[in-house]
Amino acid sequence: MTPFSQCESKEKSGPVPLLKDRPKNVSKAAPPRSYRFPFVAVIGQEKVKKALLLNLVNPKIGGVLLAGEKGTAKSTLVRSLNQVANEMKVVELPLNATEDRVIGSIDIEKTVAGGKRSFESGILKKADGNILYIDEVNLLSEHIVNSILEVAASGVNRVEREGISCEHDSKFVLIGTMNPEEGFLRSQFLDRFGIYVEVGGSKNLAERKEVIRRRLAFESGPAEFAGKWETEAAELRNQVLDAQKKLPLVKISESILKLTADIVNEACCAGNRAELVMIETARALAACDGRQNINIADIKEAAEYALPHRKREKPEEPESREDEQEPSQEENDDQNQEPDDEQPDDQEDGGAEEPENQQQEQPPETEADPPAESDDDESPEPEEQEPDLSEIMDQIDAIGRTFIVRNLNIKAIDRKKRKGDGKRIKTKTDAKKGQYIKSMIPQHKINDLAFDATLRAAAPFQSVREKNGLAVSIRSEDIREKLREKRTGSTIVFVVDASGSMGAKKRMETVKGAVVSLLTDAYQKRDRVGLISFRKKEAEVLLNITRSVDMAQKCLRDLPTGGKTPLAAGLLKGYEVIKNEQRKNEDLLPILVLVSDGRTNAALMDGDPFSEAKEIGQRISAAGIQTIVVDTEVDFIKLGLAKELAACMNARYYRIEDLAADVLADAVRDLSNASSF
Amino acid sequence: MKNNNIVYPFTGIIGQEQMKKALILNVINPLLGGVLIRGEKGTAKSTAVRALADLLPTRSQVEGCAFGCDPREPANMCSDCLSKYESNGTFVEMFGRMKVVDLPVSATEDRVVGTLDIEYAIKKGEKKFEPGILAQANRNILYVDEVNLLDDHIVDVLLDSAAMGVNTIEREGVSYSHPARFILVGTMNPEEGDLRPQLLDRFGMVVDVIGERDTARRIEVIRNRLEYENNKEMFSNKFIDDQQDLRERILKAKKLLPKVQFGDDMLEMAAKISIELDVDGHRADIAMIKTAMTIAAFKGLTAVSSADMQEAAELVLPHRMRRTPFEEGIFNFSKVEQIINEVGSARDDAI
Repeated sequence: MTPFSQCESKEKSGPVPLLKDRPKNVSKAAPPRSYRFPFVAVIGQEKVKKALLLNLVNPKIGGVLLAGEKGTAKSTLVRSLNQVANEMKVVELPLNATEDRVIGSIDIEKTVAGGKRSFESGILKKADGNILYIDEVNLLSEHIVNSILEVAASGVNRVEREGISCEHDSKFVLIGTMNPEEGFLRSQFLDRFGIYVEVGGSKNLAERKEVIRRRLAFESGPAEFAGKWETEAAELRNQVLDAQKKLPLVKISESILKLTADIVNEACCAGNRAELVMIETARALAACDGRQNINIADIKEAAEYALPHRKREKPEEPESREDEQEPSQEENDDQNQEPDDEQPDDQEDGGAEEPENQQQEQPPETEADPPAESDDDESPEPEEQEPDLSEIMDQIDAIGRTFIVRNLNIKAIDRKKRKGDGKRIKTKTDAKKGQYIKSMIPQHKINDLAFDATLRAAAPFQSVREKNGLAVSIRSEDIREKLREKRTGSTIVFVVDASGSMGAKKRMETVKGAVVSLLTDAYQKRDRVGLISFRKKEAEVLLNITRSVDMAQKCLRDLPTGGKTPLAAGLLKGYEVIKNEQRKNEDLLPILVLVSDGRTNAALMDGDPFSEAKEIGQRISAAGIQTIVVDTEVDFIKLGLAKELAACMNARYYRIEDLAADVLADAVRDLSNASSF
Repeated sequence: MKNNNIVYPFTGIIGQEQMKKALILNVINPLLGGVLIRGEKGTAKSTAVRALADLLPTRSQVEGCAFGCDPREPANMCSDCLSKYESNGTFVEMFGRMKVVDLPVSATEDRVVGTLDIEYAIKKGEKKFEPGILAQANRNILYVDEVNLLDDHIVDVLLDSAAMGVNTIEREGVSYSHPARFILVGTMNPEEGDLRPQLLDRFGMVVDVIGERDTARRIEVIRNRLEYENNKEMFSNKFIDDQQDLRERILKAKKLLPKVQFGDDMLEMAAKISIELDVDGHRADIAMIKTAMTIAAFKGLTAVSSADMQEAAELVLPHRMRRTPFEEGIFNFSKVEQIINEVGSARDDAI
């Protein structure tokens, strides 16, 4: 144990009605373990099973993340791991866990009864030497993730909260399951999982039939069913034990090390964890096989487990950061910012003044249109562009390639308390969720007691108060409430250019792909969305603000392109929609996303359309609405109009091709560490 | 008025056969995974769910247990009852009727999962677990009206326990887990936004309801409603026999269910449909067979037929056809029929 005597190791016991009345041994047998679906009875999923067993054999692998569609026995396998594990047990971290239960917290019972502050350990203590399992790990709230990351890295849980200061060991095998539909993990968290397996359902008819048969057999008699598989489970247990014994004997040769390093290098993995995990996995594989040497097949197999979630695209620009061992958040975010400051493309300056040059390919409906309307031009390679008839009429483009959206670094600007439950932005909250920031004197009925603060408030009066046999006397005036912080979803209004110019060269397809990607991102962050398109003479609200990202996507799919570009009208409509919504809900955190190349040829009044757009842009910015401009300009010669508009609106500026997250799962990156907006 | 508490009788609901069937099947077999009812306002969605209460069977439970454990089912007992069971203690048995437990959309997380009784802790210096809605819902129906408006984190905890049948609590100094096996019934109006795919998949079946289009039946609906409002007691008295009949049918089906058999060809149908339609995971196959078995039991039969499979597929498949959060699955029912016919006729040939 730790030198800090305050940390008492105490077995948690289950309650109802009184915790302390219950015999300690009962609670350990928490949910009826023996009646779980047997690990060995799960059909197929060999890779998943193997990944889990490898971790039992060699906990140094550092856990596994199972990602896959719903209904593929992910959780069933993990939860039944107890049946084949010999010493380790599965400690579950439910999504409803509060921070105090995860890290450990002040022991209310003891403190009140004994008058002495004492520590009650949490899940991280329970998990020490065991398996920490998080189901739906991608839905876990950010502050819990942060505490786990810290502990997973150091193996020690240091508690500094509510007036308690202590530490204890917490070394665990981290196992997570998730459905990627609900969002991904940020790379730092991802990296904490030693290995990664993608789970899918079986496509084999006979296997599928057997799956149904076993499941039904299990449901009609869990105990009997489990009994039938007991011998097989016992056999597997012995195999694991055997391999555990052999593990220390497995030797690692120089050539194997070299091979590993080469493979990892080839995969462009960040940090050195990939190598370590691969070696540990290969050792476990060899031990399972009863060998004392690691062979090439082991390394190859280990790579399949250890690399998928660490692999990166080859970096385009040589980012010669010394050695990104622990890619820290700040560093990642720095990289993130780069494109905003400077547009690597040098064309913009030269191109800005010569829209005339670009008339080569005129969309046929532009007789009346000023030149800015057209957009296609001398592209590097001459491609045949039939100015086909479809451009005269409205056309509906398919949705193009979608991708994971990079972190857009949106921040709450004011300090108002917002009620909501999105994931994008941290704000103060009244609801009883989120991170405990500080305590305050309650204004209404108390439901979220800040016990430490309450005790502190009561302390000075103890000598003069009636205590009724209790060590501490607490009066209502001592009570303090917790002030918490959590994320609020934002309200995002997309203003999409659907004019004729967007119809050319499948550009709208790309735009639709990008907007769908943004919508997916919005869905995962629980934002509310609205959709406005502008084309021909006016802007149209395709979808009023809704939670239904699904509907937004449908609207977008059916969105036709064609006609002039009334940019100012689009912006104005977006502004109006947001203002309207703000009237209903003042806590709203509005974001306007303009998807356009900035070219405009239709004004609201008689004036220069572009300066009109800029004017409205300024008004939007002055109203405190955050804006993002997604520049769709893909032409060889860049006019940079969208960038100009963005500057004018104080908007974040992205080129459409910059939207995709550069590293695999950076979409959901920690916003709290983002640099200022 | 003294008859204010009388709910609209289930058998008095006109039309909406699919919805009524889905609800009844879930009562017969609580392992079917619940039902989501989607439809416009005023289509008797909530009425039907609330009316269900009157049809629910009584069942044996451990007296004094906060979770209403079944004294004969150790697999799903709370830790208290289980330790008693394993040490061969005797239970005081009582009979209680299955209930419809409401989960209001505004419910807070601590109310749903249960939490520490703060007042008790401060005043008495002892920790006491205050069971939440999930504890009440064990072995009952958990009903969420406007389920698509439910707060996200509530959905998350709901998913957790709906999947495992266990509610694990780690909050506010309380660490506990208890059985939470419930029939999840949700109603929603799709105009208000959609449901997360993950939660959608947890519902064993989905039924889309539309208002009655036939004028004569519409009139009948209105007439019934007015009559009910006018004198609830008299109106429901009219249906006493019907209600009793249905109750008995449900009980009979419940008894018959364990005897229902399915042939290998039925398994093949289920697996083939899932493969061909490319549904996620294995839940659809399992749900299809279980639903078909329950349908057979409700019909008073002990063997699953192709027709049962088809009925089951209609209930179980529509919501499982989407691959990504947005991509709309095209539910091609003719494909399902085709597979059922193919496999079905292959069997006939074999005989």
